[in-house]
Amino acid sequence: MARIMLPLSFFALLSGMFSCNLEKEVDIELPAYEPRYVVECYLEPGKPITLLLSRSAPYFKPFPDINQDFLDNILVDSADVSIIYNGVEIPLENRLILNPLTLKVFNYYAPVNVPYDTVNPFELRIMDRAGQIISATTRILPVVPIDSLVVQFAENDTLARVLTYITDDPAESNYYRRMMHKGSLDSLAIQDFAADDRLAEGVIAFGTGFNYAVGDTLIATIFHIDKAYHDFLESLSDAASANGNPFAQPSPVISELGGTADAIGIFTGLSYGRKTIVVSR
Amino acid sequence: MKYLFPVFLFCFFLSMNPAYAQERFTLSGVARDADNGETLIGATILAPGLGLGTTSNEYGFFSISLPARDSVDVVVSYVGYQPRAYRLYLTADTALQAELSTGVQLQEVTVQANSYREQLSSTEMSVETVTTREARLLPVLLGESDILKTIQLKPGIPSGSEGTTGLFVRGGSSDQNLIVLDEAIVYNPNHLFGFFSTFNTDAVKDLKLYKGGFPAAYGGRLSSVIDVKLKEGNNQKISGSGGIGLIASRLTLEGPIRKGNSSFIVSGRRTYVDVFTRLINRANSRKEDYTPIPDYFFYDLNTKVNLGLGKKDRLFVSGYFGRDVFGFDNDFFNFNFDWGNATGTARWNHVFSPRLFANTAFTYSDYQYNITSRITGFSFRVGSNIRDANLKSDFYYEPNNQHTIRFGFNTAYHLFTVGRLKAGSDDGLVQFSAGQDFDGLELGLYFSDEIAFSDRFSLNAGIRLSGFLNDSTFYGAPEPRLAARYSLSDRWSLKASYARMFQYLHLVSSAGVALPTDLWYPSTRRVKPQRSDQLALGVSYLLGEQFLLSWETYYKFLDRQLQFVDGAQLFVNDELEEEFAIGQGEAYGLEFSIEKKQGRLSGWIGYTLALIRLSDFETLAPDGRFAQESEGFGPFSPIYDRRHDLSVVALFEISRRLAATATFVYGSGDLRWLAPGRFTFQDIYGASFEAVVPDYQARNNYRLPPFHRLDLGLVIRFFPKWGESNLSLNVVNAYDRRNTFFIYLEPEYETVDGGGGNQIEIPTRIAAKQVSLFPILPSFTWNFKF
Repeated sequence: MARIMLPLSFFALLSGMFSCNLEKEVDIELPAYEPRYVVECYLEPGKPITLLLSRSAPYFKPFPDINQDFLDNILVDSADVSIIYNGVEIPLENRLILNPLTLKVFNYYAPVNVPYDTVNPFELRIMDRAGQIISATTRILPVVPIDSLVVQFAENDTLARVLTYITDDPAESNYYRRMMHKGSLDSLAIQDFAADDRLAEGVIAFGTGFNYAVGDTLIATIFHIDKAYHDFLESLSDAASANGNPFAQPSPVISELGGTADAIGIFTGLSYGRKTIVVSR
Repeated sequence: MKYLFPVFLFCFFLSMNPAYAQERFTLSGVARDADNGETLIGATILAPGLGLGTTSNEYGFFSISLPARDSVDVVVSYVGYQPRAYRLYLTADTALQAELSTGVQLQEVTVQANSYREQLSSTEMSVETVTTREARLLPVLLGESDILKTIQLKPGIPSGSEGTTGLFVRGGSSDQNLIVLDEAIVYNPNHLFGFFSTFNTDAVKDLKLYKGGFPAAYGGRLSSVIDVKLKEGNNQKISGSGGIGLIASRLTLEGPIRKGNSSFIVSGRRTYVDVFTRLINRANSRKEDYTPIPDYFFYDLNTKVNLGLGKKDRLFVSGYFGRDVFGFDNDFFNFNFDWGNATGTARWNHVFSPRLFANTAFTYSDYQYNITSRITGFSFRVGSNIRDANLKSDFYYEPNNQHTIRFGFNTAYHLFTVGRLKAGSDDGLVQFSAGQDFDGLELGLYFSDEIAFSDRFSLNAGIRLSGFLNDSTFYGAPEPRLAARYSLSDRWSLKASYARMFQYLHLVSSAGVALPTDLWYPSTRRVKPQRSDQLALGVSYLLGEQFLLSWETYYKFLDRQLQFVDGAQLFVNDELEEEFAIGQGEAYGLEFSIEKKQGRLSGWIGYTLALIRLSDFETLAPDGRFAQESEGFGPFSPIYDRRHDLSVVALFEISRRLAATATFVYGSGDLRWLAPGRFTFQDIYGASFEAVVPDYQARNNYRLPPFHRLDLGLVIRFFPKWGESNLSLNVVNAYDRRNTFFIYLEPEYETVDGGGGNQIEIPTRIAAKQVSLFPILPSFTWNFKF
């Protein structure tokens, strides 16, 4: 028996010895890539119009040094940018706006507050120095209010979850972006995802894990978004998560931007319902 | 009127029998293993003095017309068995129960040559077979012998991801394989994402794979037919076999119900990693931060009863049940996921006359997955399934030695449940639901005749009429099949075949590996059946008496191929067709093999040069997007487009106690869809900043590095009083090659002061990381037989 057990033990030992180091860095050569314009413009009622126009880069292109013109390497300046609303063209000035608290950057700006108009469309038109056009149209959707925030404690535990209830209109196809912040909106969201109502039958509840203690402040936000923004967010998330994942299908980012410039990005209205709750028993 | 000509042609061919002038009788019977009564498929029955021969069909039955003689010598042979000679007094139709024994094979070279000559003289081409002996001896991952992985070593059948059972035959996708287990369709032949197949080698008799030149009896898939036959059970004595491995154990019991006539077999297999993970979980249960390891195991159960009902009838009843079970449970969250197949077959063989044999089968197939989850106050249940009831009948008629006629029908009723979801809160306030049910009727009617015009030239002409009815939509089409053989000499054979195939069921799967949530979807008004036309040419040469060289080239046109739109939502979607994109493709290639079946050293070398391109995809939804022609990227190849594929397999019987095996594989790397560009997305106030978002463009634009691997095996046999056992030692990936399983691109960041007390992460570079599935991997399995 010992004659058999010895080699078996040896095999088991070898199995253990080699069961590591399965990952290594490699050099790979990707196909040639032509940089594209990237647009981000969110029309938030009551806020001035801001837009970020940047450019993409080949995947392995070295990142610029943070201290040496980082933004200059990414941002696209000197384009003609305007929003057309109710037949009136609102030009956007090429001006760098940086919110030091949120660190959000925009390079085009118009000191015109966006109206809460859920009927009339907003059009975006951008022309670069070479005459290439980026165009898009969007609307601001009606706010879907949060019905209630409900705190539920786990049995025999000090931690609670928070359920966010909204009422969905079953007669329409609706799309939402759900965000949850802890403490302050200036912090990064602890939950952030897009959803649709295709499976819902009226009331929708968004939950959290049992992670919150008495005294925690939670801010729930439900954005009512259109299909284009929903598909953009979903495809953005899919593109990031499929990056080499053998269980996932890669997906290009789905962007509704038109024009001749082959740009990528989002032009959308933002309307949302928001509620805050302090966790208590 | 248009059918009159073929009928006339058929009658003309039937009348082409030069031997009618002489009185003839039919010798028929079943070839069996003398030790356990198992039927032998493809045994050679030869009358050397008359230059006439035939082979047993897939039920072991054979029939040959011989001239009346006082004395006719007939030799029955089969690779791995001792040939047996019979002297017959042929004065009437004669039944012969040909029983062969294993043991000392003094004439093994002759047997092998006979087998090769039968291959050369058959119109059948593009066929690969694997015996359970090969599957058991060859080294495999974690010591679990797997007949589906063994067939991947044959030319023209590249695997999917390394270590998995995926089959991509001649450019076809993995859902284009018709996999039948004792005539019942197996819809998902995988355990654990395809790392193991559902076929327990102990219960399997053999596996035959058609890559092209499909017989008219088969239909329903475009690219291959994989016919797995279960053992029938030992009708001589009670016996058993099994094995204990690193991750699973097996046990098979078989024996006679009536000695020499009827038998049973029961075979089971189960993995036991969960036993250890539960112990680990229990040991750590008091640690606060400990996250329990989820439970996972799979099991299979095969049973078969084989009843002789007189000289002319035999009844078989067999079944398969297998499940993968995954579960996770803690105070707040419970998640259970199980999936698997169930099949059942009731089959009746009847010999109407020495020239007419019939096999009638009723089969049932079921594949389903179920996910249930519960989080305090909320529950969730989702599942899909496909169920079939299939009645089929196949007739084998040999009016004379010039004709082998097969005809029959099958009718299958399919029931589909697609993405059935029920979720909601316990108080009923929140409810979600989804799901669709479909049914479909699939029909097939076929006729074929293998006509021997002369010793040199034979032709197998067949036609299959297939149809599919779903709701009020009916698709029907003729599927012509043609195969021809011309022998230049008794060593050289030229072959050609053409086959048209239709596929009425489609697999909705977007991942590169087999997922249990992949679901089957029927042809509908908008989703038309897939179609292929395959033309193959081949040459075979018998080198000496021991080596068979084969060369084949093929061209396959694929129409109405299914892909999915960008960002497709395939999981629980009542508008699933909106996610489909339909296009076409073509595949062509060249396969070469040299094979030696018997002797102390046996094995084969196979090489394939292949290419596949897909193009012209259009989305079913008007606003659907498919990143291809519309963006000017042109045709693309699927990820399994493997340009070069080489397999070298060697089995060496060192002594009665010792056998050594080795396999070497080399293949071009698979394709992957990587993003050539990236952009930065800052998002809205309150959302996180995405420094690197991949910008995907042309599909499958990057080829992974070539892979190669050497696996070694050693089988040490023991002969205790109670039977036989062996210790199988495997070293997979013997020289520790790190083949690429996947590549991911990972940004690296540095944290900088963003002002106002905020720290921000700025990307500094992107690293490409290669992940391999396994290093050098030794394993052992103890197998026994009594």
